[in-house]
Amino acid sequence: MDENKVIICRCEDVTLAEIRNLIKQGFTTVEEIKRLVRSGMGPCQGKTCGLLIAREIAEITNTSIEKIEIQNMRPPYGGVTFEEVIAGDTIEE
Amino acid sequence: MKNRASVVVIGGGVVGNSIAYNLAKRGVEDVVLVERSFLASGATGRCGAGVRQQWGTRQNCLLARESMKVFENFKDTLNVNVDIELKQKGYLLLAYSNNELEQFKKNIKVQNSLGIPSKLVTPQEAKYIVPDLNTDKLIGGAFCPTDGHANPFKVTYGYSKAAENLGVEINKFTEVNEIKTEKGKIIGVQTNKGFIETSKVVDAAGGWSQQIAKMVNAELPVYSERHEILVTEPIKPVLDPMLMSFSYNIYCQQTPDGSFIMGYGPDNEPPSFDMHSSWQFLETMSKKAVWLLPPLNKLRIIRQWAGLYNMSPDKQPIVSKIKEVENFYVACGFSGHGFMIAPAIGVLMADIITESDLTYNVVLDIERYKRGEIISEPSVV
Amino acid sequence: MNNIEKAELIVVGGGPAGLSAALAAADYGVNVILVEEREFLGGQLVKQTHRFFGSEKEYAGTRGIDISKFLVEKIKENENIKILTSSRVLGIYNDKIVTILANNKMIKYSPKALILATGASEKFLAFENNDLPGVFGAGAVQTLMNLYGVLPSKKILMVGSGNIGLIVSYQLLQAGVKVACIIEAAPRIGGYSVHASKLARMGVPILTSHTIKKAVGKDKVEGAIICQLDSSWREIKDTEQFIKCDAICLSVGLSPLTDLLKQANVKTSYVPELGGYIPLRDENMETSIKNLFVAGDVSGIEEATSAIIEGQIAGLNVAKRIKKDIDNQVKIEKKIAEAKDELELLRAGPVGEKVRNGLKKIGLDPLKNYGEKVSTEEFDISFLMKTGIPSKENLKKKLPLSEDVFNKGPIAISECFQQFPCDPCVKSCPFDAISENGSINNIPYVNFEKCTGCGICVSKCPGLAMFVVQKNYTDSTSLVTLPYEFLPKPVKNQIVLVLNREGTEICEGTVKRVRDGKIQDKTTVVTIEIPKEYFLEARNIKVDGGQKHG
Repeated sequence: MDENKVIICRCEDVTLAEIRNLIKQGFTTVEEIKRLVRSGMGPCQGKTCGLLIAREIAEITNTSIEKIEIQNMRPPYGGVTFEEVIAGDTIEE
Repeated sequence: MKNRASVVVIGGGVVGNSIAYNLAKRGVEDVVLVERSFLASGATGRCGAGVRQQWGTRQNCLLARESMKVFENFKDTLNVNVDIELKQKGYLLLAYSNNELEQFKKNIKVQNSLGIPSKLVTPQEAKYIVPDLNTDKLIGGAFCPTDGHANPFKVTYGYSKAAENLGVEINKFTEVNEIKTEKGKIIGVQTNKGFIETSKVVDAAGGWSQQIAKMVNAELPVYSERHEILVTEPIKPVLDPMLMSFSYNIYCQQTPDGSFIMGYGPDNEPPSFDMHSSWQFLETMSKKAVWLLPPLNKLRIIRQWAGLYNMSPDKQPIVSKIKEVENFYVACGFSGHGFMIAPAIGVLMADIITESDLTYNVVLDIERYKRGEIISEPSVV
Repeated sequence: MNNIEKAELIVVGGGPAGLSAALAAADYGVNVILVEEREFLGGQLVKQTHRFFGSEKEYAGTRGIDISKFLVEKIKENENIKILTSSRVLGIYNDKIVTILANNKMIKYSPKALILATGASEKFLAFENNDLPGVFGAGAVQTLMNLYGVLPSKKILMVGSGNIGLIVSYQLLQAGVKVACIIEAAPRIGGYSVHASKLARMGVPILTSHTIKKAVGKDKVEGAIICQLDSSWREIKDTEQFIKCDAICLSVGLSPLTDLLKQANVKTSYVPELGGYIPLRDENMETSIKNLFVAGDVSGIEEATSAIIEGQIAGLNVAKRIKKDIDNQVKIEKKIAEAKDELELLRAGPVGEKVRNGLKKIGLDPLKNYGEKVSTEEFDISFLMKTGIPSKENLKKKLPLSEDVFNKGPIAISECFQQFPCDPCVKSCPFDAISENGSINNIPYVNFEKCTGCGICVSKCPGLAMFVVQKNYTDSTSLVTLPYEFLPKPVKNQIVLVLNREGTEICEGTVKRVRDGKIQDKTTVVTIEIPKEYFLEARNIKVDGGQKHG
């Protein structure tokens, strides 16, 4: 399998090769990998790649996947524009 | 994990890693770094990723300039192949009052004397540098073209890699539970992964440095404070420099990947270890940002988070040994600008630990508060 | 900054779980704000054109889209429910403030309780060229096809044989898309056997222990390379084969959409049986955070029917907490007990085992009352679950013991061999001739004494597994009555090709009767006359000018 042609994070175009390389270097948490290659930082915030990366970590480090934490989730879910935030704050009661 | 070390560095942020690297570079063997979570998981990885040299005091300018030299030659200096995504498109500081502008003038004098290429700009020039800038009420600004952005994770990672290459042992997910002392002397560090015998400990624990110091019954004059930040979806490059205003209280930049990252200094934030995000921040930040850069209006905010500033009485770092316990060293109180001066801090701490003359002519020891030598830095958010 | 709206209950998600949660709470006077990200309510139900399994009480035998219409109608009639469609919950903050994006404004609410029924997202698969245009998720295919009427491709490879993979494959065939084959990494088909059998009858190969290695194509999918897996899921050498197709549809499971739960710092745990990281919760659907409830797939992947019941349990519990008068308390308590009982029954059979194991892992007892009644599969269905084709032994057990029975006239044959909760055949028979022996999880049997061969059950069975045979129509021919859901519909006296359970053409037949009324509800019941020797083989037809399957 050509790991360079397997996409793990579709939002940020991160390949399996990049992920495996980081895991082998000792970056064995989803959060670390996210910070180094931006996987999970795109619009979907890790919905597709999170589990795939967790599985890779489990496999390479020979750990049970139950022990691997997936990434944190932070507001605002799905994104919100500045003007939408401002509009909500200026509603008269 | 090693069970014996010459120095144990507590904290895997950019400061801890820089210290560990610089110690090893001086030839100190058996340096061990311990980090409770992953590297840069604290303030380093949560910061605004700005690197600036436009400071008001000579010593801050010096530390920032020396650090910038490292950022500019990162791969060669550290001998690691890590791209830190340095973007030197400047910092544009905005002045909204004559006092502020006068202060900028004074600062620029100091900066220029150290070779930092900052200059005063008119509102028109500011508009030229940032075409989308709202220049309402703006009376001028200061601009330094060599300031900019670097990726905090990559810088930390680069330092840790370089440190490891020189023999430092880096232990992630290793939490310090106790620092053992005997007759006022350190004998070792108890972690959740085992005991490390050592006589020297460096406290570089960022937001938790005061907690670590308590383990040796030392009280540090610092506290932690939540600061919030947000990031937007990426768009094509439209904002070159980091925009910053002390009086309007904001910083905002577009990172090399295209997203905008921004924050402001909170009012009345109580000391805490709270790192929750708030909707209040989202609202205030949005209003501030859109007033300053009106086209941001339509941009989507995709993530918000918070981190801890470790605040010192004069909002300046403490890089020092302490009186209470022999060979306990602290690098704390960075008050929100640790990332951009971390390269120089590592050098200084290595000087202190190896009992060498200080490479830079600065006063950052903890005793300065008792001596009344408070550093008065006018340029902080 | 201080314009915070008060609310009693916010329900997040307008799918089956959210709809039923909102209704359950609103029925007791709780003021509900129902938030749905899309412009319409119904969630995934609106894409489900097939009839649902389960108990008639929870709409079994009704098509998903019709269940949705029914629930949405009730929601709209309910004065206690305020509907926010095209709205999204952005944040659940530490101070319990919930921010919602509605009408281009971020509005702040301070609710007394929150029910998250956010559903699930599709899992993705790592294989070479998996970013090539033409690689779809099954959800996307369903949305394109069933919501927007757009065909995703001409010929598709389906990856995954869970119920979604099987159902979407069938829908693709109905829409005129060829299904090259269905591959499944496990040694066994993941979905219900009746769904698989429908596809087998259409001649769609189902390859278990097979996986996709790479997508092939320059600018878009032109094919795929698949290979066989051994018992430890490793590729068997030299088993690669090229499948020509212009799209690849991934249906490799769902994972709970826990973004908001994680934001709120709800405790989660990895439970593979329930789809991945799921919130810890009690039997009342309350999470580790007080007054924060979950329901449906977000609490663990299951079927829409269980989602509906979980929604009821969550909604009723919120009502119980908010409406404190004694009268209500007693009524609500009774309803909660009933719903729990129903949910337990639904999970009590062999197909519920996975879910039960998952629930045990988070400390729940999924079989308080039915512990002793759980049975293992009555039949050996290993061949059926590999191929979608029932074995001879399976068939034998559902046919009359004596050949004589065929001589009395038309009789219904139930080709349902797997135990799962479903009862429309039993409930639909006007002669009480079909029985499940007391449990919805049991296999239904036809009482040939009572059966008149009326054929009502043929269109009622959600699995299209009921047939009527009349062996001695003439000396040389038999009649077979079967369900047919393709266009064009056959007409009387038309000559059609007749297929067996494997989708192989076995003979020609003449259409004798086409029943397509309100009762059949789009499942046309076709009676064909065929040579007598095939009356136990003929189970599908190919109508000229219609589907070219396989």
